[in-house]
Amino acid sequence: MSIFEYNGSALVAMVGKNCFAIASDRRLGVQLQTIATDFQRIHKIHDRLFLGLSGLGTDTQTLYQRLVFRHKLYQLREERDMKPETFASLVSAILYEKRFGPYFCQPVIAGLSDEDKPFICTMDSIGAKELAKDFVVAGTAGESLYGACEAMFKPDMEPEELFETISQALLSSVDRDCLSGWGGHVYVV
Amino acid sequence: MENSGGFSFDLCKRNGWLVEKGIVKPPSFTKTGTTIVGLVFQDGVILGADTRATAGSIVCDKNCEKIHYMAPNIYCCGAGTAADTEAVTDMVSSQLQLHRYHTGRESRVITALTLLKKHLFGYQGYVSAALVLGGVDCTGPHLHTIYPHGSTDTLPFATMGSGSLAAMSVFESKYKEGLTRDEGIKIVTEAICAGIFNDLGSGSNVDVCVLTKGHKEYLRNNLMPNPRTYVSAKGYSFSKKTEVLMTKVTPLKERVEVIEAGDAMEE
Amino acid sequence: MDPKIDSSAPISTGTTIIGVTYNGGVVLGADSRTSTGVYVANRASDKITQLTDNVYVCRSGSAADSQVVSDYVRYFLHQHTIQLGQPATVKVAANLIRLLSYSNKKMLQTGMIVGGWDKYEGGKIYGVPLGGTIIEQPFAIGGSGSSYLYGFFDQAWKEGMTKEEAEQLVVKAVSLAIARDGASGGVVRTVTINSEGVTKNFYPGDQLPLWYEELEPQNSLLDIQTEAVPMSI
Repeated sequence: MSIFEYNGSALVAMVGKNCFAIASDRRLGVQLQTIATDFQRIHKIHDRLFLGLSGLGTDTQTLYQRLVFRHKLYQLREERDMKPETFASLVSAILYEKRFGPYFCQPVIAGLSDEDKPFICTMDSIGAKELAKDFVVAGTAGESLYGACEAMFKPDMEPEELFETISQALLSSVDRDCLSGWGGHVYVV
Repeated sequence: MENSGGFSFDLCKRNGWLVEKGIVKPPSFTKTGTTIVGLVFQDGVILGADTRATAGSIVCDKNCEKIHYMAPNIYCCGAGTAADTEAVTDMVSSQLQLHRYHTGRESRVITALTLLKKHLFGYQGYVSAALVLGGVDCTGPHLHTIYPHGSTDTLPFATMGSGSLAAMSVFESKYKEGLTRDEGIKIVTEAICAGIFNDLGSGSNVDVCVLTKGHKEYLRNNLMPNPRTYVSAKGYSFSKKTEVLMTKVTPLKERVEVIEAGDAMEE
Repeated sequence: MDPKIDSSAPISTGTTIIGVTYNGGVVLGADSRTSTGVYVANRASDKITQLTDNVYVCRSGSAADSQVVSDYVRYFLHQHTIQLGQPATVKVAANLIRLLSYSNKKMLQTGMIVGGWDKYEGGKIYGVPLGGTIIEQPFAIGGSGSSYLYGFFDQAWKEGMTKEEAEQLVVKAVSLAIARDGASGGVVRTVTINSEGVTKNFYPGDQLPLWYEELEPQNSLLDIQTEAVPMSI
């Protein structure tokens, strides 16, 4: 077993027309045993920036705390919110710092820039950024999410359609993954 | 602890323990199972790369960028662990920028080469970046390969990555001295295509970067031999709507408009 | 060995390197093959590296390690030459190589042959093998190809050779090793150093002498194939 599969997770983010959506499942397990069914994997950094963390629960929470801390310091110093691109570089730098003893999590970052341009991005556990124009996935259901998103995604969706697409992609994918499920959270911004 | 710089080895003990206990296998990272190439032609250097990034057998990025910026006159193709190639090239390019501020002169390829090999040799191959470095400086065009352990070669044509054998077969049969720009681009594209079609770790599109004295040309997706052919024109429709259990609408905070006061500060 | 190419394997100069003294100077010689496992990463590499105007070194073993050692020694010798106000001796160069090889012996996988000429001792060859010993020798051989050459050198090396005799001996020896050692190949490069200065020479792979069972270069092996015979069991 890979340590990334210990708690199970499904994460996906998609880009629409001047909007984005980010969704995750709600399960937290210990291997096949379900522990919690209302686990939060997506966190709000600020109004227009969301962070999803898949992988080992303990590391996702630690990493989240460090990132929120760094973002608050940034807000204090700069008196403004971080741009999604900047935040992605911060996450990448924090992950790469632990290149030889990584956090076991794969983040998904989704945000809106000042001009309402959507930005999504994912990384591996040591901070190799992958910027995508359409959608990004992470977690134990990643493989099935790739399939579902490749088929269902189309460019420039309006928020309503985007919500429907991302929800259907998430739900159909977690159905084929034993380690994630129990419905999902969807954020459309 | 925060902002101390350099790597942090805090979690090594825990992660090593997890592997040792047999609970887990060590994690795998995004690799650029790659074809990257470079050649010297009559007025400069041409670099080429495919655009596939993989994690195990999954293609996790179909159109990534493997030709990294080092300096306005120097670029560098990266193969190996994606995070390492990205980090090492970013780090060295910032050192070069500072060096330019300091000296006010154009960066030299040999400087980039020395900085890269110093870093990679220091980490004894654990930072797994295999690079093809090319550029044109005041001493002319240069092409180098750098291996993860920190050894370097200086060559008229070079290939790296899992597709290097396929690409080298093209170079070995077609490369000659004094190629023109168009001939060079053609051979580089062909070599990358050999990697894309014959190496499973490489795929998607061809990126090319042409560097000449005082000029660079980045030809992103110079050739796209693998277009997507299975897009449904109608799109997808869902028979049953998603069951929404709860909806919460949080309005975005109003932006504060900063209006310039009637009388702007006058000098 | 697994014939799959492991590009992360350390690249090494599975090599033939030679240093020979003659009447008035030294000749250094090397093949040009650099390999990663079974893949030839560079078929025209230069393993004879300059340290100062009058001292060169032949590198073998891990390419990364030997490059770093010679880079440092070149740097130290440059400073040394300025401080001294005259060219460094071969002995000093060899001793610096030894110093680095010995004090970092656990980290380094490299053997080197230092050769050069100075006004005090004339042409000198020093071997610095794996652990960091230093041996002054009339001739030295190193790298994976050297095992095929010990007997040959015991027989062929003579005291007081001329420059031409020494260079021909080196070319012959490297070509012999190339013929037998899979990790050596490509071209033969030589560097001759004496009181007059340095001469570099290059012998293309297709102009080397052919040894036992070696074939002339062919455009296609079909040209020399004898009549096909049906296989029988």
